[in-house]
Amino acid sequence: MIQSGYDPATAVFAIDQSRCIGCRACVAACAECDTHRGVSLIQLDTIDRAISTQTVPLVCMHCEDPTCAEVCPADAIKQNESGVVQSSLKPRCIGCSNCVYACPFGIPKYVASFDQMMKCDMCYDRTSEGLKPMCASVCPSEALWYGSDEEFSAKRTGTLVRNWQFGRQTVRTKVAAVVSEPGPVMITIGEKPTQWQDDPFGLGR
Amino acid sequence: MGDKGQGDQLPLGSWVLRARVLSMGIASTPSRVDRRGVVVGSILVVLVLIGVYIGSSGLQWFDPALAPYLFGTVLAVFATAYRYIVWLRRPPTAMLNSRGWEAMRAKGRRGSNAVGLVGKLVNNILLQRFIAGRSKVRWVAHQLLFWGCVLAALVTFPLTFGWLHFESADESGRLYEAFLGPFATIQFDSRGFFGFMVFHLLNIAAFLVIAGVAIFLIRRMRDRGAIALERASDFAPLVGLFAVSITGLMLTASSLWMGGQFYAFITNLHALTVILGLLYIPFGKLFHIFQRPANIGVSFYKEAAEATGEQTCIQCGEGFASVLQMEDLKAVLPAVGFDYSFESGEHYQDVCPKCRRRVVGLAQVARVGGFG
Repeated sequence: MIQSGYDPATAVFAIDQSRCIGCRACVAACAECDTHRGVSLIQLDTIDRAISTQTVPLVCMHCEDPTCAEVCPADAIKQNESGVVQSSLKPRCIGCSNCVYACPFGIPKYVASFDQMMKCDMCYDRTSEGLKPMCASVCPSEALWYGSDEEFSAKRTGTLVRNWQFGRQTVRTKVAAVVSEPGPVMITIGEKPTQWQDDPFGLGR
Repeated sequence: MGDKGQGDQLPLGSWVLRARVLSMGIASTPSRVDRRGVVVGSILVVLVLIGVYIGSSGLQWFDPALAPYLFGTVLAVFATAYRYIVWLRRPPTAMLNSRGWEAMRAKGRRGSNAVGLVGKLVNNILLQRFIAGRSKVRWVAHQLLFWGCVLAALVTFPLTFGWLHFESADESGRLYEAFLGPFATIQFDSRGFFGFMVFHLLNIAAFLVIAGVAIFLIRRMRDRGAIALERASDFAPLVGLFAVSITGLMLTASSLWMGGQFYAFITNLHALTVILGLLYIPFGKLFHIFQRPANIGVSFYKEAAEATGEQTCIQCGEGFASVLQMEDLKAVLPAVGFDYSFESGEHYQDVCPKCRRRVVGLAQVARVGGFG
């Protein structure tokens, strides 16, 4: 029951990695989530410290047709009415890690001490009550942002994109990426990031 | 919806989708009956009935008063077997099931696997150590429920099937003899400590179960994470186990302290709760009793997969999984309607999870023209 704030079915969760300053506030805040207290599930990576200061924060993107759930042999990963793909059901998860290796975004974590897969559930204890997820509520640069469509239009620039193209596979997600122009985010592999000095103003893009 | 891509995979993909929709309880389309499930379920039912006939010496020791329990057991056996077979048909489950058995029976490893199996059964199934890692209180509660139910099952099923009965062994009527089928086993003083324990095993089981249920209920009412995620289906098994236990205890209370008042009514009520409980097993949360042991197959699979070498990431060159598991995953993905291959011939599953996050981040950053 939503008391006030945002309806998790329609609220916007937007990620803009270009804003991330790598402060790790989201990592600390994530462990405060009541559904997985003490275990931080957000992923925060560097690209390559030698050539880039870019950091990449990623929560579960909550795919409309989640690959993790489809490859789960125990049928332990469920999607709720709001489109949130929940962490594995504790009685069912058999710890095979199929989901960890199948997720196109590299999100699920296998926690060996629990013998269970755990992943971001968009702080369902908070979002189900209309509150913002922990990570988005503490992110100082709003790389992780949660709010309504109207608020996004009023406060932010850019377009929200929910379609991702991984080779031949299109994936549509509940969490949106902030980009300049509409169109799916095309994922390419086999390319290594280059030294920024090679193209300091990004003219070669 | 994600583009399922491959047209020839559509029937299987749509089956999986339909299964997921069914499990979400949102909508369903009628699906055909699984013949293999019906056959296996029927065979197990016949085996149970044959076991009852032989074990009770041609129904000589079968108690007709317990017939409703047998009826519930037979239905539960059929439905559980049916669901298990249907579950095994899901592509990822079928893959893991066959790989788990292959790994366990692998030549050259049978001896060590047999020894390892004992350890895994003790740690994962009997002691459930993995739950203690999540929460000690949760582990205590689950152990109470587990051993309470095991104890109750070890008493109830042999009695129901007529495999176990007691006979008076002397003139006084105090000395009892326990029979397993036609075979006499131990004699004991029915009014001694051992006799007291034997005749109150189900009461002991009921106390264990009620203690476990109480801890789980308190947790469900106080833990903010559990409150956020729980559904009615999380309470159903707790309510069911409590109902079975409390009505069982009421039978003893009626017999010992109420002069047998309401005994017949409580007997029917208890039978009803037990039968409904048995029927709930294949359809609800308690099905994990049969699913979770697959974890043992997974651990054998992981051990065998390690021997196949490490899959290295085509981005960073680091190892991240076993070759066998990644090859299996690449075989399962098309079966459930996904195609992560690239036109260049590379496969996205050959990229490690860390590098996947990196390429996703870089792809998004590349699409931002300025401060977003």
